[in-house]
Amino acid sequence: MTALMEIRDVGFRYASRVILKSVQLAAAPGEFLVLLGLNGAGKSTLLDILAGLRIPGSGSVKLDGRHLSELSARDRSHWISHLPQGVRNELPFTVEQVVLMGRYPHADRWFESDDDRSHADDAMLKMGCLAFKHRLYSSLSGGEKQRVLLAACLAQDPRILLFDEPSTYLDVDQQLQCYSTLATVARDGALCIAVTHDLNLALAHCTRLLVLHDGRIAADVPVEQAGREPAWLEYLSPRLKLARTPEGRPWVLYQ
Amino acid sequence: MRVPQATGWIVGCSAAFLLAAVLLPWVGPGTITIQRVLARQVPDYPILIELRLSRTLLGLLAGGALSVTGSLFQAMLRESLATPYTLGVSAGAAFGAVLTLALNLDRILGFPASWAGALAGAAAVLAIVAGASFKGGQLSGVRLLLSGVSLNSICSAFILLIYSVVPERRSFSITQWLLGSVDSVSYRALLVFAASVVAASAILILRARDWNLMAVGESWAAARGVDVRRVMSTGYLCGSVLTAGAIALTGPIGFVGLIVPHLVRSRISPDNRILMPCSFLLGGVLLACCDTIGRVVLIPAELPAGAVLAIIGGPYLVWLVRKRF
Repeated sequence: MTALMEIRDVGFRYASRVILKSVQLAAAPGEFLVLLGLNGAGKSTLLDILAGLRIPGSGSVKLDGRHLSELSARDRSHWISHLPQGVRNELPFTVEQVVLMGRYPHADRWFESDDDRSHADDAMLKMGCLAFKHRLYSSLSGGEKQRVLLAACLAQDPRILLFDEPSTYLDVDQQLQCYSTLATVARDGALCIAVTHDLNLALAHCTRLLVLHDGRIAADVPVEQAGREPAWLEYLSPRLKLARTPEGRPWVLYQ
Repeated sequence: MRVPQATGWIVGCSAAFLLAAVLLPWVGPGTITIQRVLARQVPDYPILIELRLSRTLLGLLAGGALSVTGSLFQAMLRESLATPYTLGVSAGAAFGAVLTLALNLDRILGFPASWAGALAGAAAVLAIVAGASFKGGQLSGVRLLLSGVSLNSICSAFILLIYSVVPERRSFSITQWLLGSVDSVSYRALLVFAASVVAASAILILRARDWNLMAVGESWAAARGVDVRRVMSTGYLCGSVLTAGAIALTGPIGFVGLIVPHLVRSRISPDNRILMPCSFLLGGVLLACCDTIGRVVLIPAELPAGAVLAIIGGPYLVWLVRKRF
């Protein structure tokens, strides 16, 4: 298995506050990684570094052997799509216009081509927002907005997708749909990395769990082993217990 | 929006712009006949060509410059009330220009001194306001508007200060300028202004897709491949040049940058590829029309275009605030 993304000794600090000490990670196409950790553990910062939005203080990020820092913004966006947290609510655009923004790195012309439009339609279909593509973004519910943003990331057609809490504002059914869509995207050959706090959602869909603690990846567990080695839970809270579903999959209980 | 539809809107707005340029100079106190103009007879010919035409063109260009800057600031700073006027950039330009008037400077590096002063003032205020509103990598709309209002008052206070210490003769010319009027200018000045407005607007409009992504958020745009730093500095530079040029020639005119982009956004398209060119064209038409209205409502007196605009724009701002909050 070749590493699509390889992170070595990545460190980051805000002024004098150390956020990341030394992060190591190698990930291959087809994986769906979930990044867990307490508030302030540096999950979003790490995701920003992987997206090329922040420059790490030390260490390197490589894509297929090439340094991320050597790529231009445009080349980078052919590789990586990143969904930031807290995109503002009052965008004046229609759903289709927002999703078409994902085609920015592919369209050279001033206007999008029919090919761009069909990519955008596919993405909207996957995220279940094709039916309201002509509505104004600002008129949608929180869950619908989040699906539109996810569709824009899919329309970008990248090899790596980074999501900062992608299921925020979604109801339970839509959370499940969102995660199974991401799992499908990963199975089709992309690398997906999502930050989340929902442990069971993660266990049900992802292929590998990462726990960020004290500036390092303290636990890196394939999901098949997550049930057998419950040590990763201790970094998150002392009040968690690992159980099994009737089908035999690991399930986290709150105490 | 499909390409033909977008082209239709841009062609329509261009037609309105050209129509305004051709028709508005004929409106005003005293009738002018085509026959007398074609025969180059006095006074019809000089009134039309030297006074009213140059004034209409100035109105079209300044209005266009201010409203395309309005749509720029609204995308770049993600605040729907951001305009050269509400951010204090106009006041900064005015302060710079008044300072050069008071010092009796004529030219700086070959350019009219008031332009250089206005450009320095506009750029300084924009940098201060945007700098003061950044917190944790995010721009806050409230901070933006609050610091804009503060800078606006500070610049106005300095203008008053200058006004009260300069000799009377010069304070009169400052008053004239501060009224915000579209007056006849020499074709030479107009040409330089037109060249800088067309260049700066073209640079902005060619980046219109980038502005769409920037309107969503900086990291959103960066993750889709926009070179955020370059785009932002282009925006600051072009925004300052456009505001400064317009303000130096017409005085502090507000609201055109607010009304026009909002109308275009809600009635035509929020897509900056259409929004920016249409704002430019319709903003020009609006300011030129306001100037024409001001020229005819109180004959023989003239109401400055800035005042006409404020009478229309003020209530619109109130309505907008009511609708939004």
